[in-house]
Amino acid sequence: MRCWNCQSEVGGAEVCPSCGKVQPVAPGTTLFDVLGLRRGVDVDKPELERAYRERSLRLHPDRAGKDDPRERRLSLERTALLNEAYKTLRAPEPRAFYLLTLHGLDLRKDEGRAVTVPPNVLEEVLELREQLDAARSAGDDEQVSALSDRVRVQSAAALSTARSALGRLERDPADASAREEAAQALVRLRYHHRFLEAAEGDDEEEVS
Amino acid sequence: MAGGLLQIHDPLKPRGHAVGIDLGTTNSLVAAVVEGKPRAFPVDEGGSLLLPSVVHYAQDGSVIVGARARVLAGSEPTSTIASVKRFMGKGPEDAETRALGAYRFLKGGSVVRFEVKGGPPVTPIEVSAEILRTLKRRAEAALTGKVEQAVITVPAYFDDAQRQATRDAGRLAGLEVLRLLNEPTAAALAYGLDKGRQGLFAVYDLGGGTFDISILELVEGVFQVKSTGGDSALGGDDFDRAIAARFLESHGVANPDAAQITELLAAARSAKETLTREETTELSALGRTFAVSRGEMESWISPLLQRTGVACRRALKDAGISREELDGVILVGGSTRVPAVRNFVAQLFGKEPLGDIDPDQVVALGAAVQADLLTNRERQDEVLLLDVIPLSLGLETMGGVVEKLIPRNSAIPTAAAQVFTTFQDGQNALDVHVVQGERELVTDNRSLSRFRLSGIPPMPAGMARVEVRFEVNADGILSVSAKELSTGVSQAITVKPTHGLTDEEIEKMLLDSIEHAEEDIHLRLLREQQIAADQILHDARKQLAAFSDLLPEEEQHQIKAAVARVAELRDSATDSQALADAIKALDDVSRPFVERIMNRAVGTLLEGRQVDEV
Repeated sequence: MRCWNCQSEVGGAEVCPSCGKVQPVAPGTTLFDVLGLRRGVDVDKPELERAYRERSLRLHPDRAGKDDPRERRLSLERTALLNEAYKTLRAPEPRAFYLLTLHGLDLRKDEGRAVTVPPNVLEEVLELREQLDAARSAGDDEQVSALSDRVRVQSAAALSTARSALGRLERDPADASAREEAAQALVRLRYHHRFLEAAEGDDEEEVS
Repeated sequence: MAGGLLQIHDPLKPRGHAVGIDLGTTNSLVAAVVEGKPRAFPVDEGGSLLLPSVVHYAQDGSVIVGARARVLAGSEPTSTIASVKRFMGKGPEDAETRALGAYRFLKGGSVVRFEVKGGPPVTPIEVSAEILRTLKRRAEAALTGKVEQAVITVPAYFDDAQRQATRDAGRLAGLEVLRLLNEPTAAALAYGLDKGRQGLFAVYDLGGGTFDISILELVEGVFQVKSTGGDSALGGDDFDRAIAARFLESHGVANPDAAQITELLAAARSAKETLTREETTELSALGRTFAVSRGEMESWISPLLQRTGVACRRALKDAGISREELDGVILVGGSTRVPAVRNFVAQLFGKEPLGDIDPDQVVALGAAVQADLLTNRERQDEVLLLDVIPLSLGLETMGGVVEKLIPRNSAIPTAAAQVFTTFQDGQNALDVHVVQGERELVTDNRSLSRFRLSGIPPMPAGMARVEVRFEVNADGILSVSAKELSTGVSQAITVKPTHGLTDEEIEKMLLDSIEHAEEDIHLRLLREQQIAADQILHDARKQLAAFSDLLPEEEQHQIKAAVARVAELRDSATDSQALADAIKALDDVSRPFVERIMNRAVGTLLEGRQVDEV
């Protein structure tokens, strides 16, 4: 790739090494690339924070010398992508969902329907919701928080399962059973989240 | 007034000075960095740094802003707009709109309009622009130079419509709005840079009408907002109301009228202020007295403080930190002077809050710092501010349910895309509804805009794939674009703000405001002369063509030269006097000619023939 401004070779860099202009995002760039992190289930938190700050300082439209309208535009796009990378990779859960999309399955999109959830998982989720509703209408706050605690433990277990399956998948992208296991665990995790949102919702709505 | 040190013109600032403005519910301030330090300027009578955010519209069409306007609120309640910030970006049907003040609202429309004396109804944007104009003028006097750029602060919890309205008010006041800065972030900036601090901070901002909480981290020149939250309808005014309610209750007053409420709230306010220093006070209003102790007031406002506590805990959770990790708690807003508030905050976060910068000024000072950082090349690389979007952005889906597209506390600028498809064969348009808020149902959130994606090429149902891209810029303001993916055709989008003004409306207001604004009197005079010039040029050209037989050649040359002079100055003059002189010259030189035309017209009439061309 060549710099849009000075035509010198940029080789996929964010900023042209010779004229300093911000460059467009190269196709196939992952969010790990955006932060310059090694792709994987785990990331080094201090390294991620440092990379985010350091790149923001270089790419943000508020920084000096971004007066050219085209560069401002690119700088805005780069910063938006950088923010997305930071948000996605900072916490283990969104990072796990994102890793699975790199293996071709985006659970946030319709592709999530392609994952078949075992009936016993669905049953358990429905039962928990019923218990929650019952505890709510009885005004039993202790029961609500007991149920939440139980689901939090389960969701931690689901995340851990997903992470180890994703680890195997990263080592061997052809491992179909690892992919399926990760997908199943993340779908469970999503059910747990909806449950916790519903359980904690009361507290939050007072504020808005 | 300002000292001599301000009177230095910086030749490197061709665009005039950049200021920071705290456009508050109760008071507004303007500040700028002078010789490396931010300072607020006197903006009202007696050299006060606070300009009461009150605007009075007088019968003669003049506009009064500040303490003088506040005095008139009692006698002219409907033409004196106070706390206009609470109406920014709101529709006339909003519950809050109906509950506030004794104003007369114009019925209908999507934007609040106050009916006032001396002119047409005004929108909250125009009222805010009056406050901004006053601040701009006073800053120009203090700085002895033009002020054209500003950073204006908004509550972190302001939604898109409220932000847009604030930005439009800035434009209307003739300011280039460099940035809309969240108030708590501004406060942290004032503290962070002033004290050279590093670490994690909570900013607790309780103003007259809004409450904001933000968690920020300052590391190696990057100021990162980790989370923000609050309540856009909770503030010190509610303390006054709580006191007033107890007064009415204890005296058995069931239905106080508007004037009584105004009187009582003023008395409650001063009782609240006294109780920050004294243990007890006596409130007198409506010809009665009422003893209040500090302890009693604290118990009445306690439920309000608990509400702020909920938002604070949520902000900590969103930031993913515990209160022990905080390095400091910053207090902002006049309401944090109440001892009960300080105690509550100390207990909530487990540490004594910092308060060494005047809580009334700290937001404006921080805004001034950001204005300087954004315009002063030498400082631009000192600190970078990374802010977040306060409320989730989402779309209406089937059944009136919200699908969140950009979750709250996402760092800005940010972008998200969503692909839509058609559900009927040959469908060529799609309706999209954008909302902001955290609730599940569309009706519980704030409607931002509805728009129609049109010009979709005819295709079988489900085949068209329209990608809608949402972008939130560094001001926290949303923009939308769309593209049909299979054909690559860009889609036409007409975004109609649910509770805002279109760009055209703002443009028209800008033109209109030229006719009203004091500082634009020069422009107005010029505009008047231009209109006069158009009229005289039109007449002169018509008469020259129609009655050339009445004109000796020499006179014709003189008139044509004078016409050419007026026509040239019509477009080039910047001074109304030069144009006025040219018009007078043309008038003088053509007078004998016009008289001859009149004479002929009279003669023609006498002959019984109508001439309507004269």
